[in-house]
Amino acid sequence: MQQVVASCVFAFYLRMFQLLKVAGDSLLPEYQSGDFVVILKISGCIRLRVGDVIVFHQPGYGVLIKRIQAISPDGQEITAIGANPASVDSRIFGVVRLRDVLGKVVWQIRKPG
Amino acid sequence: MIYKLFEAFDKRFGVERAKAHCDVPCGIYDPIIPQIAALTVVRMIDLMTDLEGKTTDKNLAYFNTLSRYVAVKEEHAEKLKNDVRVIWGDYLKAQHLEKYPQAHALVHEIMALGSKVRQTTDRETALKLVEKLNDFAQIFWETKGVATKRAKAPYAPGLELVYPNL
Repeated sequence: MQQVVASCVFAFYLRMFQLLKVAGDSLLPEYQSGDFVVILKISGCIRLRVGDVIVFHQPGYGVLIKRIQAISPDGQEITAIGANPASVDSRIFGVVRLRDVLGKVVWQIRKPG
Repeated sequence: MIYKLFEAFDKRFGVERAKAHCDVPCGIYDPIIPQIAALTVVRMIDLMTDLEGKTTDKNLAYFNTLSRYVAVKEEHAEKLKNDVRVIWGDYLKAQHLEKYPQAHALVHEIMALGSKVRQTTDRETALKLVEKLNDFAQIFWETKGVATKRAKAPYAPGLELVYPNL
């Protein structure tokens, strides 16, 4: 019985959260290549705020991780940038559509060293 | 400890990557560069044909001039292939390729013709290469919402090119 409950809870969490690995240095020094992040997937009850680190799908670029710099008044368009001046982000490809956001980072597991 | 746990999980199951992508994108792309390189290929073939026709004594000077024409033809054919690959790979994004699905086949044709003009001195192949580059330029400028025009290049071999109508 306990195993069934544990499996159900695990499945629930799997739907709400996703584990990803950071590749690249555009969010240095806070996030480095090799870090793991857990994102809380976007749903109706999740509110994004300026400063949140989000993971989104950008057409032509794939799955990216950046920090929110601004959100349009209707909440549908997000300006997401990296910490590094050479970062490929909204300064290059424009705003990110809310529907392309996969989720926001809620847990960072730093790469040792 | 906990990182090692995730690392082991990643090795076993493969965790999706979130790219913190960094680059130095200059954003400057223009198909006129490979278009002019293709014109150069035609020009070299014309010069080689002309030299061959008017030279009876195939002396050292003849071979020197001919080899220089061949070298320039080689260089520009390879250059245009590289330039097209860069525009195709770096500039054209998924949304462009969705709208212009023929771009992949077109680039492949340009690659093949670019090799063919190195292997041969066939002017017709070189002309076909110029036209394929015009098709490529047409798609490029359409992705930018820039109108185009066809006009003869103001230098030999004076072939028509697709230019942005700025």
